[in-house]
Amino acid sequence: MKRVLKWVALVVVILAAGGFVAFLYFIPPLMSTAPEEFVNGEAAMAPLVGGIADPAERALAEHGRYVLMTTDCTGCHVTPGPQGPMPDMYLAGGRQFVTNTHGTVVSRNLTPDKETGLGARTDEDVKRVLRSGRFPDGRAISHNAMPWAQFSNWTDEDLHAVVVYLRQIKPIRHEIPPAAPGVADAMVPGALEIASGLDAGKK
Amino acid sequence: MPCVSPGLRWTAVCVTAIVVLCGVIAGMAQTSLAAQPADVKHLYDASCASCHGTDGRGRGPAADALNPSPRDFTRGTYKFRSTASGSIPADEDLYYAVARGLPGTSMPAWKGLLTEAEIRALVAYVKQFSPRFTADLPAPIKATPAVATSPASVEKGRLAYGTLACGACHGDGGTGVGAVAAVLKDDWGNDVEAQNLTEPWTFRGGRAAADIYMRLKTGINGTPMPSFADTAKDDDLWNVANYVVSLARKPIWQMTADELKAHYTQQAQRNASAPVDRGRYLVKTMACGHCHSPVDREGRALPGLSFAGGVKMRLVVWGDRVSANLTSDNETGLGRYGDDDIKRAFTRGIKHDGSRMLPFPMGWPAYAHLTLQDQDAIVAYLRTVPPVKNQIPPPTGPGVFTYLTSKFQMLIGGKDFPVVIFAGNAGSAGNPGSTPAAAQR
Repeated sequence: MKRVLKWVALVVVILAAGGFVAFLYFIPPLMSTAPEEFVNGEAAMAPLVGGIADPAERALAEHGRYVLMTTDCTGCHVTPGPQGPMPDMYLAGGRQFVTNTHGTVVSRNLTPDKETGLGARTDEDVKRVLRSGRFPDGRAISHNAMPWAQFSNWTDEDLHAVVVYLRQIKPIRHEIPPAAPGVADAMVPGALEIASGLDAGKK
Repeated sequence: MPCVSPGLRWTAVCVTAIVVLCGVIAGMAQTSLAAQPADVKHLYDASCASCHGTDGRGRGPAADALNPSPRDFTRGTYKFRSTASGSIPADEDLYYAVARGLPGTSMPAWKGLLTEAEIRALVAYVKQFSPRFTADLPAPIKATPAVATSPASVEKGRLAYGTLACGACHGDGGTGVGAVAAVLKDDWGNDVEAQNLTEPWTFRGGRAAADIYMRLKTGINGTPMPSFADTAKDDDLWNVANYVVSLARKPIWQMTADELKAHYTQQAQRNASAPVDRGRYLVKTMACGHCHSPVDREGRALPGLSFAGGVKMRLVVWGDRVSANLTSDNETGLGRYGDDDIKRAFTRGIKHDGSRMLPFPMGWPAYAHLTLQDQDAIVAYLRTVPPVKNQIPPPTGPGVFTYLTSKFQMLIGGKDFPVVIFAGNAGSAGNPGSTPAAAQR
């Protein structure tokens, strides 16, 4: 009887250990999830525009949604969590980048929240960032962390549609810390920038 | 000075003295501004150098992706002037370019971001990059009084637009689709497109008739746009300016829902008929080059390696990956793969050999939402990217033990495992023309 119990205990321990290793190996399930699930998840995050009352605004936002989604803004601007980007924090920012040229910067909150997002920024302020890589106070934005130099190739009309869509997404309170000193190269020799996997913002 | 009373004379002397004194004070203020070159340099380096470069050659770290290219100050060649063709610009021309910005480009309006004195100081600083400003004087042109717009003036302008062969580059009706519009180059060797005259919000030098008149009168130095000062009468230049103003179409922000629907339908049709142009636009604006064009440690593009891949990324838990060579090279680039392989890679994260990509840093879950037409356009454009031989090393894994322990630290310990993006090219082409600091260690 005792011997059987011993064997059972052994099997349980081995199974538990094996299960734990399998957990470590497969979670997050980045390689075992069908590509379609990632693709659908991407679309599910971006709010649809059907609820916009004004038909012209709706048409602009629809186009802006297409441009914004296919540009992978989510890659940096969805708040990162321990298991990857958090879908309920769509474009609320908080991913930290240590850059060689602009210190430590954090992806901004693009939601219309008045205090921590773009709510208090004018269209011109937002467009200036995407077109010229300048904050409203004139400070330069790292073109390595934020590809504004590439986005500057958007036509004024595509740029406008993107801003119209950004005004329509759900406001989320998420405070983003200002830039701080720090050089990627000092942390990892040869590095240009280091993108954190954790949220540097405050809810 | 007859008939002037002594009182008046004294007043005149006093006024003159005050004016002179003010002048001297203003002059001193001017001098004190100019006497702080370190401050102006600091301001220039902080505000202008990321695009124009600290040396003013227009090759700042961010310059590579910009269209049009940032101005090279060392030649003293400026496009938007109130001075004769070929002349250096007047100070006011430079002031307005900085203060108002250049619409349709990355040059923002600095008025409001910088003070008046700072903008003036920058204008003075920028001038000293070119010896032309000490050797030459600007040659201002004399603008004739405006011809007010009217149906008759617009019609005369339309006829003059024809006789002056404006349509050869700008197309009939000004849509920019003209006979030679596709093959234009500027003095710096960049491809330039003739301005689409129906979208005045993109006119660099301003959209008013007076601005357009000035472009016709002075030309745009450094570009194929000539001055018509000697070939047309001033009144006709004003008529053409009025005609160009009349060509403006409605921008999307003024359109009704029906107009927008028609506009986007028409745009899709245009894109379908010009897939390479559409693909170029998408590849540029989707920032493919952000990861697929290697850069030095300042983030400056390595010469000759546009879209050649080679950017190494360390996803600490998952090992090292190097971005793919997207050029049309048959051995090391996309030339090896079929259209469907390429589309499957950037929309499903499945490589040509069936292996899978992580859902980051390559944003295939986002790119999957491109319409089929846009996916085809991207492939069509990438086929035209000149081949660059740059063999990309295969991904390396971290080993099972390291993988499991770092996963443990990440999932249980909440430790941050960042993505490290390296400067330099990890592909076989190495780091051509890079500064020693940019080479990999």
